[in-house]
Order: sequence, then structure tokens, then C-alpha cells
Amino acid sequence: MSSARRLLAQITGSIAGAIAVASALAADVEAGRAKAQTCAACHGEGGNSANPAVPSLARQPALFTMYQLMMFRDGRRKDPQMSPVAANLTDRDLEDLGAYFAAQKVVAPAFTGDPAKAEAGSQAARGYHCLSCHGANLMGSDQIPRIASQHYQYLRTQLRLYKARTRSDLEGQMTSSAQALSDEDIENLAQFAAGFPPP
Amino acid sequence: MQRDARHNFMRLMLGACALFAMSAALVQAQTPPPPWTQGRSAEQESSPLKPLAPPPTATPGKEIPLAKAKLPPGFKIELWAEGIPNARSLALGAKGTVFVSTRLRTEVYAVVDRGGSREVKMITKGLNSPNGVAFKGGALYVAEISRVLRYDNIEDQLDNPPEPKVVIDTLPKDLPHGWKFLKVGPDGWIYFDVGAPCNICVPPATHAQIVRLQPESGTLETYAMGVRHSVGMDFHPVTKELWFTDNGRDWLGDNAPSDELNRAPRSGLHFGYPYCHQGDTLDPELGKNRRCGEFVKPVLKLGPHVAALGMRFYDGKMFPAEYHNNIFIALHGSWNRNEKSGYNLTRVSFGPNGEPKAEVFVGGILDGQNFWGRLVDVLVMRDGSLLVSDDWNGAIYRITYSK
Repeated sequence: MSSARRLLAQITGSIAGAIAVASALAADVEAGRAKAQTCAACHGEGGNSANPAVPSLARQPALFTMYQLMMFRDGRRKDPQMSPVAANLTDRDLEDLGAYFAAQKVVAPAFTGDPAKAEAGSQAARGYHCLSCHGANLMGSDQIPRIASQHYQYLRTQLRLYKARTRSDLEGQMTSSAQALSDEDIENLAQFAAGFPPP
Repeated sequence: MQRDARHNFMRLMLGACALFAMSAALVQAQTPPPPWTQGRSAEQESSPLKPLAPPPTATPGKEIPLAKAKLPPGFKIELWAEGIPNARSLALGAKGTVFVSTRLRTEVYAVVDRGGSREVKMITKGLNSPNGVAFKGGALYVAEISRVLRYDNIEDQLDNPPEPKVVIDTLPKDLPHGWKFLKVGPDGWIYFDVGAPCNICVPPATHAQIVRLQPESGTLETYAMGVRHSVGMDFHPVTKELWFTDNGRDWLGDNAPSDELNRAPRSGLHFGYPYCHQGDTLDPELGKNRRCGEFVKPVLKLGPHVAALGMRFYDGKMFPAEYHNNIFIALHGSWNRNEKSGYNLTRVSFGPNGEPKAEVFVGGILDGQNFWGRLVDVLVMRDGSLLVSDDWNGAIYRITYSK
């Protein structure tokens, strides 16, 4: 238990507070840390991936990590590496891993972007309503991922897959959003988000 | 001749280029925003409101603060079943099995009452948003986005369910508002909704309607039109008419439009979407040159953005006589509203002249802007108790009455 959490538990005396803390603690960061050892081989220490094709998981919203693992598990999202790893995860594993990665600090990967493309991507992000879900700081929330400082190559690949309607998509929002994107938009958006610093 | 030909060719090319440019511009102009942001004004672009996703896993029953629920005197609510992640629609089998669907997961569950405790069994998985469940003639019907499946003789095979038969697999594949609520009608047909594939748009002729499916032949018919997305319906115990809830459009402000309780006494009626909302409010864009008088008005306005989902007539004998043939409606709770609303189980009763009146029956779920559950569907059990599902906690509650 982090000291901040412990402090929170100490100062929230009300029943409501106790319940909120209890459910926050149902998912266990420390249990998640142990379970995440398998993940580190590809996703890096603390979920900060060094491989540009592999997404960084540090500080991804817990619900986002849980939903993606669930979709790998039930086959809606497919990947030669991830599918077998996720196949036998329990719901409790999803909760612990979600809590663990949400609590990790982002170490932004080295990325030398093209400022003109990033600026064009910034405009495109507004035009295509990206910030509505991903937030003005691109940090995501709930089921929506952090895309700030995500790997450029990974972002570009995912946008292409959404456009091709082959990327699993919980409620179809990204698939429908990506239909409008040109190759140039995808390049610019990936440049913009990859170069966007974490808070 | 040759020059003419070249000239014509050039004209053709220019025309083709212009056409191409035009069609490209059209594609650009017609590129819709994500469905849930459609119809948002410029001022709303920076709104922090977005649809809520529930946790994809279940809350342990002992952590659900059910003691906070408030009911009228004499009524009691208790945890009936837990560990059903994303629990959605409910259907009752002939032998007492309660079937529970999911929407964001892929499973369907069966709950068997063993007297003092309930056994939860997963009976199928890997389905595409299997939100609709209905029971008829010993079979469980399950609606995915674009298919309806049938599991024959299901209650005798809960531990080893049969492979499903495909009743129909040609429904639209759109995910937005594509999940279904199933209800068997008094005519033996199965009724469900094909929702609008958007927040607000002129829907394709195949969408924004309630249809009915003849399960033996697979015949599909339109029953009601102008329905944005109905995730709850029931047939009146006496008149046998179809009643249904409908979720109003988003982004017309915190106080408009209202979700609807509707009545469709016959087929072929139009309930207004996308032209007229809540029976009296023309859509600011699509309502131009239309009149609300063209469409059937709702029986009752249930409140803006409350997300009115499952509904059932109460035809049980446990509750007091004044509850007979009342309607219970699960208000899932708002997302498109700065101050949250809904998040309760609503009772609709009727006055001496049939005038409807809504009141909160189970409250205490929303506390300020915080909530601890979201109710989805209701089911009247044979003993007259009422089950209510909660997809936020993955649980089912039971409401009973005693003097």
C-alpha cells in the first residue's frame, strides 16, 4: 500500500469514504507488480516499453488496461504474443494489473518528431474530436487510453488498424472516428501524440 | 476530328477531376464525428462529458453498499446474486432459471436458486454484445448485435449447453445502439429494437425501429418506427399492448430532451425520432419543416438523460394491491448531464382515468455526483418478488414486501 493510499485511508472516516477506499483497494497494486513480471519482457520495467512496436502501459487508466486484457482473453483483440498470455488471466488478474500499471510513472521514450507534422496533428486532433475522450492532456481516463508519449510506431499502426476496421473496439467509437483519417492525418496524429509530454 | 477527340478527352478529364475533387470534399464534409458526439454544439466541444464504461469485472457482494438504498416502508432489498460481471438483461425460464446477459463482455449466465443460495453458471461466451435474452418454449434466445441465437431445452442442459441454432444473422452490424433487448410477445413473436446508429441522424430505413421476429420461420417485420434506442419493453398484462422505454438524444442541454415511456397499441406507428423528441420538441436541425403532431406522443416523460432501460409491469401478488399492473423502470443514470440524474428504480402508477405518475421506488444510489450502482433490468419472479440487475457491480438484487 502506498503511503498516499494509507494516508487517504486514515483521513477518510465517513462510511462513504471507507467504501470508496475499500473498493479502490480491491485491486491490489502489489499483487499486480508480481503478476506484471511476465509483461516486462516486452512492455519494459514499470510498463515503459523500449520497443517502438510495443505500447507503453505505465499510467494507463486501470479500466483501459482491464478492458484490453479482457478483449485479448475473449479473442476480440488478437496478437501472437498477447493472446496466449491473456488466455488464462482471471478477472482478479485484470484488476491487479490494471491497478499496477495505472500507478506507474511514465518515462517518455526518446522520440525525434517532425514539429510541422506534430502541429498539423494538433490541429487534426481538435478537428477529429480526439480530445473529447483522450483529454486535453492526452492522458485518457477510465476506458480511454493515455496516448501522450505513446510510441509513434504503435500509434500509427493502431490508427491504421482502426481505419481498416480490424482493431477490436469496445463500442465502435475509434473505428468510426478513424474512417475519416487520411494517411497524412494518421502520420500527423501519431507524431502529435507521441511527442506530447506526459504531465 | 482528332483535335475534337482530344478536346473531348480533356473535357472528360477535367470533369472527372472536378467530380473527384467534389466527391472528396463531400466525403470530408460528410465525415461524421464519433456517434456519441454528433449533434454537439460548438460550445459543447470542450465538455468533459463522455459515456461511462462500467468496470468489466464484478464487485464482491460484501463491498456493494446496498444498505444505502432507500425503499418505501415495508419493502426490503437484498443481494440475490453476485459475480456476474456486467450483468444486464434478465429473463425467467419455465423451471425458474434466471438468465442474465452482458453487453461489454461476451458471456450469458444462468442463475439457479438453491433455496438459501444461488448458483451462477456461465452458459455461453464469445458472443458479440449479447445484451438480449428471452425464454420461449424451453429455449433461450440470445440477441447479439447482428444475430439472434436459440439454445434449445436449455434448462435441462445448463452444465453442458447445446450449440446454438442461428435464428437470424442478417441484422445490421452497427455497434452504436446496436445491442438489443428481447421480449416475447403475446403473439409468440420476439420483439426487439434496431437502434439508431448515431446520436442524431436520419437513420437508414433498417434502423431506429422496433421489429418483431417470428422465431420458427425467421420472418422479420417492422413494428414501430421513430424509436432511437429502446432497451426495455413489456406487454400490458391485460390489454396485451406493447409498452417500451426510449432513450432520448444527447447534447441538447442538461434539461432536454426527456427519455420516454411509450405505448404502441398496434404496428406501424412512428414515435418521432429523429424529427421530434419527447412528443413536443422538434429537433433543432432535423425537425425543420416537421410537426410533432405527425408522431405518437409518449405516455410519460421520464426525465432528461436518465437512461431509461429495462421495464416490467408488476403482475405479482407479493406487493400491495395498489402496485398491481404498475410499471417498474430501471433508470441506468445519466452521462450527458452536468448534474447527474436517474440512478434509481422508478415506479409508474396510474390514476383513476389512467393518468400516469412516476416516483422513485429505489433511491439512495446517487449521492451528490457519486453513485455506487447502475440498474439495468427488472424481472417479476413467480413469488411476486422483484429482481433488479446492476451492470456497474455485476450483481442482482431482490426486492420483497412484508407488512
